[in-house]
Amino acid sequence: MSEDKRKSKMVEEQDDGKEQDNGKVKESRRDFLKKMGVAAAATVAAPAVTAATAEAVSLGETFQSHFELMSDAQKEKAVARLEKRYTEQFGKQTTVANTPAPDGVLFGYALNISKCIGCRRCVEACVRENNQSRDPAIQWIRVLKMEKGNHTFELENLDKGSPDSNALGDYGIQSGGHADKHVGLSGSAEHYYEPEQVPEDDAIYFPVQCQQCEDPACVKACPVRATFRDPNGIVVIDYNWCIGCRMCQLACPYWARRFNWGEPVLPNEDMNPKTHYFGNRPRMRGVMEKCTFCLQRVREGRYPACVEACPVGARKFGNLLDPESEVRKVLATKKVFRFKEAYNTDPKFFYYMD
Amino acid sequence: MISGRKHVRAAVFYGFFALVTGGLLLQNMPGEAVAEGTSGAAAGTSDAAQNECFESIKGATELSKMDNVVPKYGYPNVKCSPATGAVLWYGDPYGGTEPMGEMPSYGDHTDGDFAQAVIRPRAKSLKTLVQTSMQCSGCHPGADQATQQNDARQIMMHQDIVSDAAKLQHGRGAIWCFDCHNAANRDTLVDQRGQEVSFDESYKVCGSCHGDIYSDWRMGLHGKRTGEWKVGGKKRWWACTECHNPHTVQEHRFQPIKPEPPPALPRGMTKEDYKAADEHGGH
Amino acid sequence: MTMKKQIASASQKPIAFARDFFSYAIKGGNLYYGWLLFLSFFVLVGLYTAFVQMTTGLIVTGATDQIVWELFISNFIFTAHIAAAAVLVVIPAYIYKRKDMKDLAVLGEIIALTFVTIGLNFIMFHMGRPERSWHTFPGLGIFNFPNSMLTYDIIVLNVYLGINALAVSYLLYMRYIGKPMNTKLYTPLIYVAVAWGPLIHIVTAFILSSNAAISMWHTAVLPFAFLSMAGASGSALIIIFFLLIRKFSKMDIADSVIDFFSQVMAWSLGIIILVFAAEFFNELYPATHHAASLEFMMHGHQGLDAYVPWFWATMALIVIPFFLLLSSKIRKSYSSLLPLVSFVVFMVILIEKPAVLVFPAFSPTPLGEYAVYHPSFIEIFNVLFIWAVGFITLTLLTKGAIGVLTGEVRDSNTVEASGGAK
Repeated sequence: MSEDKRKSKMVEEQDDGKEQDNGKVKESRRDFLKKMGVAAAATVAAPAVTAATAEAVSLGETFQSHFELMSDAQKEKAVARLEKRYTEQFGKQTTVANTPAPDGVLFGYALNISKCIGCRRCVEACVRENNQSRDPAIQWIRVLKMEKGNHTFELENLDKGSPDSNALGDYGIQSGGHADKHVGLSGSAEHYYEPEQVPEDDAIYFPVQCQQCEDPACVKACPVRATFRDPNGIVVIDYNWCIGCRMCQLACPYWARRFNWGEPVLPNEDMNPKTHYFGNRPRMRGVMEKCTFCLQRVREGRYPACVEACPVGARKFGNLLDPESEVRKVLATKKVFRFKEAYNTDPKFFYYMD
Repeated sequence: MISGRKHVRAAVFYGFFALVTGGLLLQNMPGEAVAEGTSGAAAGTSDAAQNECFESIKGATELSKMDNVVPKYGYPNVKCSPATGAVLWYGDPYGGTEPMGEMPSYGDHTDGDFAQAVIRPRAKSLKTLVQTSMQCSGCHPGADQATQQNDARQIMMHQDIVSDAAKLQHGRGAIWCFDCHNAANRDTLVDQRGQEVSFDESYKVCGSCHGDIYSDWRMGLHGKRTGEWKVGGKKRWWACTECHNPHTVQEHRFQPIKPEPPPALPRGMTKEDYKAADEHGGH
Repeated sequence: MTMKKQIASASQKPIAFARDFFSYAIKGGNLYYGWLLFLSFFVLVGLYTAFVQMTTGLIVTGATDQIVWELFISNFIFTAHIAAAAVLVVIPAYIYKRKDMKDLAVLGEIIALTFVTIGLNFIMFHMGRPERSWHTFPGLGIFNFPNSMLTYDIIVLNVYLGINALAVSYLLYMRYIGKPMNTKLYTPLIYVAVAWGPLIHIVTAFILSSNAAISMWHTAVLPFAFLSMAGASGSALIIIFFLLIRKFSKMDIADSVIDFFSQVMAWSLGIIILVFAAEFFNELYPATHHAASLEFMMHGHQGLDAYVPWFWATMALIVIPFFLLLSSKIRKSYSSLLPLVSFVVFMVILIEKPAVLVFPAFSPTPLGEYAVYHPSFIEIFNVLFIWAVGFITLTLLTKGAIGVLTGEVRDSNTVEASGGAK
């Protein structure tokens, strides 16, 4: 009862307010509508502002379709547009190739972890070759450092472990000991090591880059098919088609994909002017990128930049369909394994030991 | 009075929040957020300044960066690392190379892809002391009586190459200088059967003891190759001594080198956050 | 009549409806304007921060390659909670035919469509190139259905939005012009909406759980966690919502309605506790690497312990309200404790999304890196911008709907007179 009275009193108060401020109510309503109108207009205008101020991207490029679905004439036009834009942007004659994938080739990679010394020259060579942003600094290869485990065993820890000798569950019969130490290839890796010299004692180095899987989780996850597998097995990205949703980055079990969070900064003198549409052409803000096995080089027959940079010859590359290739010989004669093989993505990047 | 209250309320809302958010926003402009996160690799040094670099290991081959060696793309011959002075990237992978010498073919899986192989020659670039540019035979002209004995003994020169000749760091006392160097002709090497081997084919000497490695090297599984990936393509094969110094291999098979800088830390993380990870320890 | 006149006359009523609806919606008292002004402040600030983000890129947020998701998508998941939970109002009204909720179903649908819209706004801010959204349209672009889970979410969210928008506008329009609804079309639509609500949330859960690489999300309980959290947070919002409507408008909402939702909230919290208990046991007993993210939240990793207080506070603020709500005294205190507990439940599930579900899941990364998320101010103000726009929409739509439901907004041509108001 009282609640109803309260409610009607409230309503009355509201009505009173309205009566007295009739004129004012109308004014503030108008102002309010004006503000909403401005808000709506600005939200609509925002994407247009994005395209105009970010870079001088032509309308043709903005509305181009997926590269694989273009006709040859359209592809040539798209490539010419890009060459013109890059040449203007970087002040040097840039070529954007559209070299097709060679027939009968399946690219494979083998990395000898017995030899890797963790010098990161592969990382830097990749950056020099593939026009990554220098600020924020993007690197497609990440070298992990793990401990061989020669330091982890100590007498004091003989009874440590689970359950602890003094804890609940100990019935005077030891069950745990020496647990919780990392040995060898393990989940505990350092990324930011910075010693004076490599290789350090008791360290194993393990570089990781896109594994170019045969059943890639990233390709499955992409809602627009911007990333897909080319005829040689390299997983490529059409940078002009990618919408930047980053589903692929979630799906990749190898942390191989990088996102351009901001507009990439690439100094003109460091820019590599020999590019390919799917490979190392400079990317734009808001799109994914990753190792492409130096597609611009391998389609012309040359080794990827990381293979050539490695000072200890730990990296091997070749055609998995050619039994005489170096990679096939590695598979035939060495102890080979795939990284995180449990994810069943069938990588074409093999690690081996000798 | 009610209308006045409403205006005052609005003014208070706007005023307070404008102060708070204006202050916060001005302190945290996007430019700052970008600057915070970059460290390590993107140290701001462009490559343009670095012109001298070494391949694999210091002392093996030093190169000078030459611009426009591949005119079609404006490629320099190499790109050098500003942090370590190492060669990072080859514009021209075959610079200074010559076709490889005759390679024996055994008709088994150890045969390699020899036809298009090139190698960096060594013989013509051999110099002894810094002051001279003579070949070895300039000071050691032919067979010397005293050197017929192959016993380990101290030598008075070449301390920069071998610091203690009585304890040669190769083979743990099983070999000595003249097991590889040709006493009869110092400009060449000698293999296990006493046959002369050119410095350009030094791998044949290494291979006469290190057969497994030599087989792997012939197949392309050991050591480094640059050039074309396909079988039968032109490749530069890297010789043994371009990575290994036979006079110090017992200390280090491969001389430790300075690594390139670490990656940039994730934005918002500091080195201290990762410091605990650097110490030996568990989870 | 000519075509032009026919269209003119046929469209007169809907235009009049829209005009009357919105002119009623923006009328209100001091508190109402105060609320709208408060929200519009965040809209104004947000216009600037949105501009900054749209021109500079996602680098203005705290997201990195190590922690790929930011506050936008975390909040999106929360809006999917609420949008799915709106069926909690529709089910009792239409399927159980509860008389006390008959008119309230449309309010539930308004909540649903508003929160789906907010969610879609969050997605726009989450994308790296939102102007390329047209790449997802089948026909114009490439729609990678059925491989990509995101395409499923695009379908279900837009269909849900369409169903609710259609249902709401149809019901209110018919009420406005005083004509009965065509229940042959309307009822099946409602049934589809009711089934679709949980479906949008299961699909959203699948977007997360389909990633084997993120072990914390790679669990079958995720859809159940999401649905129970939808039940709790949705009920909490609806309780506060209905209590406010009861207080400030002429709509009659019986106590039994509020009691229904406080019970739903209590039991949803109970199910959340069960789901979490099952998941934590599953992870922590064998304590494999799969549990690394959970352990990171529970006790930090080598000094990185920023998430630890958030995790434990969230767990406490889920368990404590559950036990509080078991007491009918608290459930019945409509003017103080119940709205307080509801607010706490709403906020804790909102905060849990970024602080527990999303950001810790990215550590360790597949290569073993641990990182802590630091949201930026531009990002926070963009989040507040989107919430403000959403709440303004919700407020206006609800006000207009209440006008129609209470009879104050009526087509002037109908015989039925409006009662009481001007």
